[in-house]
Amino acid sequence: MSIISKMVNWARLKSPWIIHFNTGACNACDIEIVDALTPRYDIERFGILLKGTPRHADVMICSGAVTNQIEDRLKRVYEQMPEPRFVVAVGTCASSGGVFNGCYNVKGGIDTVIPVNAYIPGCPVRPEAIIDGVVKLLASLEEKEG
Amino acid sequence: MATSLFYILVFPGILFLGLFSLALEFFDRKFHARMQNRKGPPWFQPLADFIKLSAKEGIIPEEANATLFRLMPLLALTAATVSFFYIPLWSTRALYSFDGDLIVVIYLLTIPTLAFFLAGWVSASLYSMLGAVRALTQLFAYEVPLFMAVLSPAILAGSWSLSEIAAFFNDKPLFIIFNVPGFLISLIALLGKLEKVPFDIPEAETEIVGGSFTEYSGRYLAFFRMAVDIEMLVGASLVAALFLPIGLDLHPVAGFIVYILKVLFVVALLSVLRTIFARIRIDQMIRFCWIYLAPLSLIQILIAFIVKGLFLQ
Ligand code: SF4
Repeated sequence: MSIISKMVNWARLKSPWIIHFNTGACNACDIEIVDALTPRYDIERFGILLKGTPRHADVMICSGAVTNQIEDRLKRVYEQMPEPRFVVAVGTCASSGGVFNGCYNVKGGIDTVIPVNAYIPGCPVRPEAIIDGVVKLLASLEEKEG
Repeated sequence: MATSLFYILVFPGILFLGLFSLALEFFDRKFHARMQNRKGPPWFQPLADFIKLSAKEGIIPEEANATLFRLMPLLALTAATVSFFYIPLWSTRALYSFDGDLIVVIYLLTIPTLAFFLAGWVSASLYSMLGAVRALTQLFAYEVPLFMAVLSPAILAGSWSLSEIAAFFNDKPLFIIFNVPGFLISLIALLGKLEKVPFDIPEAETEIVGGSFTEYSGRYLAFFRMAVDIEMLVGASLVAALFLPIGLDLHPVAGFIVYILKVLFVVALLSVLRTIFARIRIDQMIRFCWIYLAPLSLIQILIAFIVKGLFLQ
């Protein structure tokens, strides 16, 4: 691997910008994501910044089971992100549909609509678990590409 | 020829400018984090952000005007970079200077804002258009006080050339104290120019997603971020050259250190301001600028005239 692609890979691992997307969560997972962004947990240490627009983001953090309503929006927001892009499913609902599985208006977990790179279980997940999940996702990328 | 190419490309030109502005962004973010009782980003963070963005896919929206969309980041970057060459840094002589370069520098510093506006306008997205209009509205609020504030050192020195102004204050350092209101005004105007809290109304990610840059991604965004960083460095250098012209006749190495300290001081003041304030609305910002800042800058000009009449005739 040439030195330039090594450098690019290093930069990618050091600066994952995230966008938060609620696909139909009960809101508890969203509160925990917002929790993880507070100065108390200081995720800027890892270079993580919250961005408002999918165009700037590398990692999409989705919470909640995918409802029929949100399915198209989820696909569109995912397609608006520039490559390389990653998706993290936060919470049991996002991973598998959770307690909402089988509801008349629910499709299931995030991976029924778009590819998911990491699953973080929990109901709701703890902020530490979210940070751990994102860091583990980055570490797995390092093994794959490094 | 070779030396001036070296001056322009390496030191104190483009390479130095790029690295120093990245370091300045780190300093700003770290200081901000420390004041919030956080650990803050590691030292290489702005560099990692820049490399990552440059290597990402750059999406151009279908509806957008592709040529202008691609051109705007470069325009902003170029204008900010060129204005750097006319500012005296650690001696009383800038790299290039002519009579009237003060005006040229200020106009060159306006071009990035216009580029932000056009970038938002051609992206053909509602959010970026709102951001673009706000950026232009804000320009009309802070630009006039900024112009009048930098006018007063020029009046005192009796010259429109930044190098001559620096030389004048180097001879008569005590006259700096008459420019303190101008220093404060230009700090506040600089916050507006750099679109930092409390004047980050054009970016306001909680209301309009990302302002003018909403549709930008990849290397186009990287260039825009670089342009903002360089604008911060040039703005801080300009304020330091006009209102803190000390240590200009020292040995070059000592003068260089003094220059770095001056820029860090100005950026630290900007970070403190952005930490202790929250975003205000656009109408509040315009009212504040026209009711308080503009009259204050008129008073500053009056002070400059009176001082000139009393002591410099
Ligand atoms: S995992 Fe639990 S907390 Fe999270 S959205 Fe589902 S039900 Fe709510």
